[in-house]
Amino acid sequence: MPPMNTKNDSAPSPGTPSSFALPVVPAQAAAAEEHGHGHDHAHPHEHDEVGAALDHAAGAGVATEGGYGKTYWRSLEERLGKPEYMETVGPEFPEGADLPPTGFARREFMQLIGASVALAGATACTTRPSDERMVAFTKTPPELTPGNPLHYASGMTFAGHTSGLLITAREGRPVKVEGNPQHPVNQGAAGIYEQAFLLSLYDPQRARVLRQGKAPRSVRTLAEEIAGLVGKASTGDGGARIRFLTEPNNSPVMGHLRSRIQQKLPNARFYSHATLTQDPSHEAAQAVFGQALTAQYDFSQADVILSLDADFLESRPANLAYARQFAHRRDPKMGSLNRLYVAETRYSITGGMADHRLRVRSSDILGVAAAVAQAVGGQAAGLASAAASKSAAPSGSAEKWIAAVAGDLRNASGRCVVVAGERQPAAVHALAHALNVALGNVGKTVRYLPVATESTGLAGIRELIADIKGGKVDTLVITAWNPVYSLPVDSGLAELLDPKHPERTKFTVLYTSLFEDETSALVDWFVPAAHQLESWSDGRSFDGTVSIAQPLIQPLFNGVPETELLALFLDEPFRPAYQILRDFWRGQAAGVADFESHWESLVSVGIVPGSTAAAVNVAANTDGATALINGYQAPKPAATGQYEINFVPDYKIYDGRFANSSWLQELPDPITKLVWDNPLLISPRTAEELKVERGDVLEVSYGNRKIQAPVWIMPGHADGAATLPLGYGRTGLHETTAQGKGYNANLLRTMNAPWFDGGATLTKTGETYKLISTQQHWSTAGRPVALDFTVEEWRTKAGHGIKSALARTRGDLDAPGNKLNLMPPFKYDEAEYKWGMAIDLARCTGCAACVVACQAENNIPVVGKDQVSRSREMQWLRIDRYFTGAGIFEGGYENRASPDSEPQIVMQPVMCVHCEKAPCEYVCPVNATVHSDEGLNDMVYNRCVGTRYCSNNCPYKVRRFNYLHYTQGKQPTEKMAMNPDVTVRNRGVMEKCTYCVQRIERTRINARIERRKITFEQSAGEGKQGELHTACQQACPTQAITFGSLHDPEARVTKLHNDERHYKLLQELGTQPRTVHLVRLRNPNPALAAPKASEGEH
Amino acid sequence: MSGPLFPRWTNTVSRLSAAGLLAVPAIGIGGLMAYVRSPYGTNMQRPYEQPIEFDHRHHVRDEKIDCRFCHWSVEKSPSAGIPSTTVCMSCHAQIWNKSPYLTEVRKAFFADQPIPWVRVHNLPDFVYFNHAIHVNKGVGCVTCHGRVDEMAAIEQQKPLTMGWCVECHRNPTPHLRPLEYITSMTWTPPAAPQEAQGLGEKLAKEYDVHSRTSCSTCHR
Repeated sequence: MPPMNTKNDSAPSPGTPSSFALPVVPAQAAAAEEHGHGHDHAHPHEHDEVGAALDHAAGAGVATEGGYGKTYWRSLEERLGKPEYMETVGPEFPEGADLPPTGFARREFMQLIGASVALAGATACTTRPSDERMVAFTKTPPELTPGNPLHYASGMTFAGHTSGLLITAREGRPVKVEGNPQHPVNQGAAGIYEQAFLLSLYDPQRARVLRQGKAPRSVRTLAEEIAGLVGKASTGDGGARIRFLTEPNNSPVMGHLRSRIQQKLPNARFYSHATLTQDPSHEAAQAVFGQALTAQYDFSQADVILSLDADFLESRPANLAYARQFAHRRDPKMGSLNRLYVAETRYSITGGMADHRLRVRSSDILGVAAAVAQAVGGQAAGLASAAASKSAAPSGSAEKWIAAVAGDLRNASGRCVVVAGERQPAAVHALAHALNVALGNVGKTVRYLPVATESTGLAGIRELIADIKGGKVDTLVITAWNPVYSLPVDSGLAELLDPKHPERTKFTVLYTSLFEDETSALVDWFVPAAHQLESWSDGRSFDGTVSIAQPLIQPLFNGVPETELLALFLDEPFRPAYQILRDFWRGQAAGVADFESHWESLVSVGIVPGSTAAAVNVAANTDGATALINGYQAPKPAATGQYEINFVPDYKIYDGRFANSSWLQELPDPITKLVWDNPLLISPRTAEELKVERGDVLEVSYGNRKIQAPVWIMPGHADGAATLPLGYGRTGLHETTAQGKGYNANLLRTMNAPWFDGGATLTKTGETYKLISTQQHWSTAGRPVALDFTVEEWRTKAGHGIKSALARTRGDLDAPGNKLNLMPPFKYDEAEYKWGMAIDLARCTGCAACVVACQAENNIPVVGKDQVSRSREMQWLRIDRYFTGAGIFEGGYENRASPDSEPQIVMQPVMCVHCEKAPCEYVCPVNATVHSDEGLNDMVYNRCVGTRYCSNNCPYKVRRFNYLHYTQGKQPTEKMAMNPDVTVRNRGVMEKCTYCVQRIERTRINARIERRKITFEQSAGEGKQGELHTACQQACPTQAITFGSLHDPEARVTKLHNDERHYKLLQELGTQPRTVHLVRLRNPNPALAAPKASEGEH
Repeated sequence: MSGPLFPRWTNTVSRLSAAGLLAVPAIGIGGLMAYVRSPYGTNMQRPYEQPIEFDHRHHVRDEKIDCRFCHWSVEKSPSAGIPSTTVCMSCHAQIWNKSPYLTEVRKAFFADQPIPWVRVHNLPDFVYFNHAIHVNKGVGCVTCHGRVDEMAAIEQQKPLTMGWCVECHRNPTPHLRPLEYITSMTWTPPAAPQEAQGLGEKLAKEYDVHSRTSCSTCHR
């Protein structure tokens, strides 16, 4: 959906004050004011009592930040007490938040409405409701009961890995994606891509027309063309002039089709490419173990984990499984906590969970790995010395860090694991494999599996481009996603496909994609692809498990499934994709007697039994990788004034293929909390060197190319490096959601160094760009909200800080004599269920799968960048990312270049906590928000008149108001994406998390019809899921969110409510929330100085 | 001052305007409130013209077809549903299969086009009513839909306002009936009030009726 078209640029008329609340202005900012900041002076300072009181409070407020021992801060501006920050967070909503969209003032509005009120009633004179039609089926499908959902197992494939999904369908169309509980990788969880996958099905901007050049064609014409081509080629040169460029192949049926095409056209060549693959790991495994293998880790068995730039908690393909395993060991009830060391350049989600983190440039990771390997010794020693000669370990504090890591790893032999990231070269992976071998981890925390996905990588691309340049190619068939955009800029593909190229007419290019994008603008034949939810296919996960991906709906936009497109090259009578898939699996099931039942179970469960790969027994020859390391070309060390340039797939858009998904664009980035843009990430020290602030546009010059990018200062980023997220700056023809958002980092990327290289210069341009981040919204002003402590602090609970934090966040308000809240306690004994939720901060990685799941389940609108800048984002669930560190004055206020250079991160999901003594309920003038008998804080949209008093009174700021009619203008397919069980809200209505009351009601009604209670996990039986989950709970891969009835002592939520680590957010205000959070525990290495909590100092 | 300041007639004006100031808004608002509660506002007693003249009198009263034969999802789903054309043809492929009254049905069936019935009982979009729970707990079809077997064209017999629903939710026992008579058009509770109350309470207990009045019961 295109963002709201509001005229935000017109200034408010002079009579309107910019904000109705007095800003909190601390002393330093007051001094800065004299230099003319140009904001509204709401009050002079000399004789104003209120102002003086505010100043005093502000001065004291900064001190109380550290009141419970730790400082939490959300941005550098906050940390340094910058005046811009203090102004923006004083009033609840930033400047302009309450302005109507066109910016005219209230006075004019009243005049206009006086004129129009006379005409208001003239149009719709009747009071009768307009006639609605009921359109029944002609023939009801036997399995479908109108009004009830059906669930289908399916799969989602991209970049060489298939996720097992369970999709909810209503009336013949999918409305919600969940993970398949039986899939060994997903285990019921679904990440942000899986959730947003549904929206791309209904995207009205999808391509619909099969065309040759500009002329529409039918599939039949295309089939005849291809048949002619194949016929000639198969008898002639065997397809020597035909090339295919596909995604990395992990689909058994497509692999089968390819082998048959290869039989028909023996000289045709297949290349596969995706932006991010596991190729370096496979290459290293080839060197170390003699065969290309995929590593599969088991973090639940690991006590110590070393990550070498590996974002294993969030990067595909295995993040859902790994996150679950890792989180399992962060829970003190499951045994001793594991310890995670991360060495990386920019702050990643895995870095956020780390106990110790080393900020290094990506090119130095090899040195770090070599140093660790040298310290560990054993079978890794040989490789270590080879690598050490290639790259020196960073000196200084890193040495201590490396020594501690190596010591820890050695002590935890067989119970530790070393992981290297996909952006690192094969040399680093070889070291990681060697370390795992040397530490005896093979077979325990890491197993090796046959490679499930084959890809030819950038080497294949080079060969393909060379062939095209050499005139050896007549026909190029592209099914990979948008290579013109996603390949590095010097690949040469864009130039070859450009119509201005002299040789262009000599070859024909066919391309299939969901959207008309950068590649489709340059090709001869464009085939609109059928979405995966519209086509029958299958796919392997990284561990070999095959999922049958069944479609949920007929193709909405005349798309052609990929299997059917490939099958055209077999020159056979047409078979639909279903037939192709069935025939293939019938062939695979030759020994099975009753194929029909077998097929039924394959499709309904969605998983092919026995397809998960068994571990391969490996014999390691670690020194065999020496050649690999010797052959590695390290990037040139960056000269002074130059920076290392890093490219990373974006957390939300990946490599750009999800750029048109408005849910993902509006999702705040897990670490930077930016929306609708990509920044240039640099460290605070780098920003000081360059004298840039956030939003300043820098020109990045690398190789012979330049681009411009806005700066975002990221605490915890490595010095001397800059990170550029990929996937933005899209220019696809119809992809309006993606257009104009961010800059295209691929324009600097090169084939030789696609992930990092030295030698980039950053120059100020003097321009600025408005980057919108949600991290400043609804700041909680220094109260204990996201508690994290080290294991030792938690065990002793001796510190003043921890005692005061716990005192403020625990306790029973209804204890006699407690005068904190005068409202009488609710009586829940007669209610059947007492709903409650628990969120475990120790498990939450901040991946935001819950946020997108909630958006999908509850029809939450997307508001666009401008509205988000006014703090009007609508997601009910937000993940607050706190940086933590020691006292604000450590190192002196003048030490602005590295305020807490090594900050840690705490992620805290916050949604309506359903207070038992909710401050929002008693202020609503129309009783639109009331308390249900089971403890839910109900929001009744139809009563709400939009006073917004409830949001004003909510201390958690979890209520969202529809300032504009965000849900209007939906295309017919976008309406299909809505969940019919949840009201689609109009303008002027408040909304908030409802504990998925629609799911509660449905499950309750089903249970009551059957005269039983709802079955939850604890009574469902072994391995069975309960009946009722909230959307966020179901999506979460780490099981950080728990929901259930507090009446049941066996329920996990009840146990967590009584857990030692539980605390209630802002309990000191007397709200008595039903959602408790659980303290996050860190497990630092005593040999390394952990960031100290300062005791009582400010 | 020598005499009264105002002429006599201003007394009448002031009395009338005072009375008017009170009466006009009262009548206005009261009138509006009465209007929305009247059949004009609640859409009651307004027979709709349907694309096909389906007569419930014939099918229900004469042929004694149970409600659930056509509205089969009423016990399982929030929506009772309109029967698919196949359900009509299941009889009318054999009975009256050449009747001109059924031309549209046959046309729709063979062209695989749905019949666009006009909706009569229509609650606002923010109300989520669930048929299955009501039917399974002893609320009869007649209670809300009236004597369908006497309707040539379906019309809404009950106000379906929130107040009307909440009245029963606050005290459901008088409106319950044994499940065997859910679709009965003629069942009445026992004549003696004591007996009727006893039956209601017994059914409420047997069917485990706990009608809820919290807002999220219907508003999500």
